Amino acid sequence: MRQHLRVAAGTARLELLRMAGSRALLVLTFFEAVTFLVLVSLFGITGSRAPTALVDQDGGPYARLLASDLAAAHNSFSLRPMDARSAAAALGNGEIAATITIPASFDAEVNAGNTVALPLAVDNVDVDLTDDVQRALPSAIVSFGHQLHLPELRVAVQEQDLLAHDTGYIPYLTVSALTLDALVVAGTLAAVAVARDREARTARVWRTSPASAAAVLAGRLGATGLVSLLALAVTVGCVIAGYGVRVQHPLEMVAASVACIAIFTCVGAWVGAALRRTIAVVPLIFGITLPLYIDSGALEPARFDGEVIWWIAHASPVYYAVGVMEDAFHGLRVTPEPVWLDVAALAGFAVAALTLALVSLRRVEAH
Amino acid sequence: MRVPWAIARNDLRLWRRSPVAILAALVPPLCMAGMIAVLTASASQQPVALVVQDHGPLAARLTRVIAEDSEAYALRVTDAQTAARELDAQQVAAIVVIPPDFDVRVAQDDAVVGLTLDNVDSDFSDDIRRTVDRSVAEFDAPPLGFLGEQNGAAQGLVLPDVYRVAVAEHNLRQTTVDFLRYNLVPVLVLLVINVGMLGTALLVVHDIERGTGRAMLLMPISRAGLVLGRVLGGALATGAVLVPIVAIGAATGLLRPDAGHWPAIAALLTVTTIAAVGLGLLLAVVLRQTRLVAMGAVTVGTYLFLLGGGFTTLVFLPGWIQAVSRAVPTSYAIDGLRQALFYPGLSGLGRDLLALVVAAVVALGAGVVAISRTWGKAR
Repeated sequence: MRQHLRVAAGTARLELLRMAGSRALLVLTFFEAVTFLVLVSLFGITGSRAPTALVDQDGGPYARLLASDLAAAHNSFSLRPMDARSAAAALGNGEIAATITIPASFDAEVNAGNTVALPLAVDNVDVDLTDDVQRALPSAIVSFGHQLHLPELRVAVQEQDLLAHDTGYIPYLTVSALTLDALVVAGTLAAVAVARDREARTARVWRTSPASAAAVLAGRLGATGLVSLLALAVTVGCVIAGYGVRVQHPLEMVAASVACIAIFTCVGAWVGAALRRTIAVVPLIFGITLPLYIDSGALEPARFDGEVIWWIAHASPVYYAVGVMEDAFHGLRVTPEPVWLDVAALAGFAVAALTLALVSLRRVEAH
Repeated sequence: MRVPWAIARNDLRLWRRSPVAILAALVPPLCMAGMIAVLTASASQQPVALVVQDHGPLAARLTRVIAEDSEAYALRVTDAQTAARELDAQQVAAIVVIPPDFDVRVAQDDAVVGLTLDNVDSDFSDDIRRTVDRSVAEFDAPPLGFLGEQNGAAQGLVLPDVYRVAVAEHNLRQTTVDFLRYNLVPVLVLLVINVGMLGTALLVVHDIERGTGRAMLLMPISRAGLVLGRVLGGALATGAVLVPIVAIGAATGLLRPDAGHWPAIAALLTVTTIAAVGLGLLLAVVLRQTRLVAMGAVTVGTYLFLLGGGFTTLVFLPGWIQAVSRAVPTSYAIDGLRQALFYPGLSGLGRDLLALVVAAVVALGAGVVAISRTWGKAR
C-alpha cells in the first residue's frame, strides 16, 4: 500500500511539473473556466429587460403612471425615454428592441373613459423576442387599470410565491455554470494527460515499471484534479466577488465542488483512454458539455422543461451537481429529489467513472 | 499556381485522412445546434396546473382563454390536491386557481384568480407572471389577447376596453423568424470558424511539430507559394465540410432564402472562411502544440460565436459589450447571413461584406507574416 502511495505521489509530482512547464496550457485552462462564466452571463442578460424606447408625448400623471407600470412589468423592459425621431433612428439602427409611444392625448382620453391605442413598434427579429414584448404589455396595462381603480375590472391576480424572493437569473446561471466549469476544466486536463501518454507512447514505458497502473493513474489524475480545483476556486471567487452571490452552505459547496472535480476528472480519463488523441478530446468534451449543461436544470429546474428532458437529465452527473450547487449557494431546491440523494448519485457517478477509466486503460494497455 | 494547388490538394488529402480532426472541428457546432433544439423545445411554454373550482359560464370562459394560449402554457387541468403534489414534485411551476365563487364575484367586479408560483429564478417566474396577467387582461378586455394583437388596434380598429388602453403593434420586419432557425445561423458561422481555424491550425502545427515545414523550405519553391498553398488547403477543407451541410440545410428547408440571395450567402461564407483560415495560421504560430491549439481554437471560437450574436441578442447587452462586438467579424457574418436568409432585401450587406473583407485581410495578413517568420527562423 505504501509503495502504491509513493508511486501515486511521484507521478502526481511529475504531472504537476509537466503542467508547470507548459504555462500556456495553464493560462488556457483558467481562461476557459472564466469563459463559461462569461458565456452564461451574456446568455442571462438577454433573458429579460428588453431595451425599449419610451416616447411619452403626453407627460401627464396617467402617462407617467403607465410609464412606471411598464418599468415594473416583471423585468420586461429597460426603458429609455426619448423623442419620436431618436426612437425611430435607434430602432432602425438596432440599438433597441422596441418603441412604446404614449400619445399626446393619453391623459385626456383616459379621463374621458375612452380607450387609447398605444403604438408599439417591435424589431421582430425572432419569435422569442417578439413574444416577450407582446406578453409584457398587457401585464403593465393590467397593473395600470387596477392602480387607477377603473370600474368594470372584474378579475385580479392574487399571487403567492413559494419562496420569499426570486433569485436573479444571472446569479442562478452563474452557480450552475460552476458545474459546467468543473466538467470542462477537469475533464479536459485529465483527458489530455491520459491521451498524451498514448500519443507519446509513454504508456508503454509505464508498463515496463513494476508500479501498478492504478497507482500511476491515481497520481496523474490527482495532479490534474488539483489544478482543476484551483481553476474552479478562481471561478467561485469570481462568482462570489464579481457577481455578489452569497454562499448559504459553504461546506456543502466545497463538498460538491470536490465531488464534481473528482467525477469529471475520471470521466475525462475515460474519454482520453477511449479516444487516445489530444486533438479529439478537447473539442469533444467541450461539445458534449453544453447540451449536458442545458439539459441538466442549469437554466431552470429540469422538470419544468418536460418529463422527457427531465428523465434524460438523470443520466448526467451535471443534473445532480446543479441540484447540490444551487442548494449550497442559494438554498434552492431545483431537483425533486432531496439533496442527500443528489450527493449519493454524484458519489455513484464518481465510482462508475473511475471504474470505466481503469477498464479502458487496461484494455488499451492489453493491446 | 501549380505549387499552391499541389500543397492545397495534399492538405485536403491529409485532412480527409484525419477523421479525428474532422470530428474535433464538427463536434462543438453540432452540439451547439443540439443545444438550440433543446432550448427551442423548452423556452416558450410554461408548465402550469389549472384548478377550476367553479363550473359557471364565466369560469368556463376564463378556462378557455387560458387553454387556448397554447403558445405560452403547457397546461394540465387538474384538482387542487394533484396540483399541489405536482408543484412539489416540480411537474408544474405554478398553479392557477379559479376559485368556487368566481362567477359570483365577477358579477361584483371583485373576482380573484389564485397564482401559486415556484419562484425559483426570476426569468421563469416573470414569464409565468406575464402570461397569467395577459390571460386575466384578455378575460376583461379581449383586444389585449392574442387575436387583439393581430387584428385590433394595429389595423386602426380601436375597440373600447375596460382598461382604456389598447396596443397597436407594428412589426419592423415582414417576417418573424422562429427561434430555432434564427439561432442556427450563428451555429453555421461557428462551423465555418471551427473548421477553418482548427483545420488550418492543425496542418501548420503538424508542420511545426514534425519539422515538415523546414523540409518544404528546402524545396525549390517560393515561401509565398507555400503559404498560399496552406491557405488554399484550409479554405478547401472548410468548403468540403460546409458545402454539403448548406446543401442539406437547403434541401430540408432549414435554409430557404430568396433565390437571388444565394450569391450573397456564398460571398459571406467565403470571406468568413478566409478570415478563419487566417486566424488558424496565427493560432498555430502562437501556440505551436496540438493540445494547445485544440484548447485555444475552442476558446477563441466560443468568444467569436458569443460576441458575434450566438445565443445572445446583441441589443440586450451593455453598451461596452456591443462596442466590442462591433470589432468582432462574426457579428457581421451573422448579421449578413440572417439578412440574406430571412428577410426580403439585402440591406446592410455591403457594410457586412466590407467589414468581413477587412477582417479577412487583417487575419490572413497577420497569419501569413507570422508563419513566414516562423519558417524564416527555421531556415
